[in-house]
Amino acid sequence: MAFSPEPPHPAEPEIETAHPEEFVEQLRLVADSLPSRINIDAQGVEQGLAKLVLTLIEFIRRLLEKQAVRRMEGGDLSPEQIEELGLALMRLEAKLQELKTQFGLADEDLNLDLGPIGRLI
Amino acid sequence: MKLYVYCLVDNTQTLPESLHGILGVLVRRLEIGDFSFLVSDFSDRTVPVTRENALAHAAVIQSVLKETTPLPFRFGTLVNGQQLENYVSARSEALRSKLEQVRGCVEMNVKIISDRDWMEEPQASETQAKPGTAFLSEKRREILGGEARAARAKQVAEWLKDQVAPVAKQTQIETLPTGKMLVTAAHLIEYERVEEFRKRVTEARHQRVDLHFLLSGPWAPYSFAHMDLEFETHFGVS
Repeated sequence: MAFSPEPPHPAEPEIETAHPEEFVEQLRLVADSLPSRINIDAQGVEQGLAKLVLTLIEFIRRLLEKQAVRRMEGGDLSPEQIEELGLALMRLEAKLQELKTQFGLADEDLNLDLGPIGRLI
Repeated sequence: MKLYVYCLVDNTQTLPESLHGILGVLVRRLEIGDFSFLVSDFSDRTVPVTRENALAHAAVIQSVLKETTPLPFRFGTLVNGQQLENYVSARSEALRSKLEQVRGCVEMNVKIISDRDWMEEPQASETQAKPGTAFLSEKRREILGGEARAARAKQVAEWLKDQVAPVAKQTQIETLPTGKMLVTAAHLIEYERVEEFRKRVTEARHQRVDLHFLLSGPWAPYSFAHMDLEFETHFGVS
């Protein structure tokens, strides 16, 4: 391959911001939510499976919440039905929280990277 | 013995000498066909994710960037010589084209934060509601807030793209779904236009005092390389 020689590139990278602490905090949050590899070993496999199953449940739970809110806004639920639906979803959220604690998972762990499509949640 | 791969350059380039990489091991040049890979020997099965290792990986690539534009591999890429040879023979045209695309360019990144709270305040009737109804009302405010945030993030992404379009050879913009950070953008910039790019971003910042900006670079074109598609990335958490 024959290419013309390139002149030297700019040297050291620089970072410019008036709000460094804020960006450090937000970048930590983003880094924590990046997908980690699941190690298939005796100790890790149980947590890996729990993570996968709970992610799918969390996804469905959020869909149910959205659907309930849409129905509430649409006015086709009585006050009693709204209360009943709200209580059911509240209990589901509490139960999921309990399971996350049991398997040592944080909120940001419950997600799946679907490649070009993006992230599940 | 495996090879830890840092980046790929074409064979015509002069590279820095006496570079040390992951775990302080000497980095060497492995020539395959028209290409050179910067590699170091690695005996373990996984690469521990430590600050030192991440910085060592970045330092090797940044040293090369002073001489030429490399195609960086993702942190933790471990291969053997045969895999690299197969990789080059199967993808030499694509690699040549990718090198040509990034030649003379660097990556400049912009991240944008908004301090705004996207959730509306609850109405008096909501705070006095029964628990189930109050729960659904709060979810409603969360969902509406999330939709407003997503719309704003999309608008900011489009605005940023327009601001830097005249100097960016390529742009990758991502809107983030949660947190204060709305947008993260990578731009492929010809190195002689880096100062022009900085100037444009600075001007853009002055237009949007409601947003907080972080501008960084020049970096190797990490976001435009996509070099690890055929390799597993072996790293463990330590």
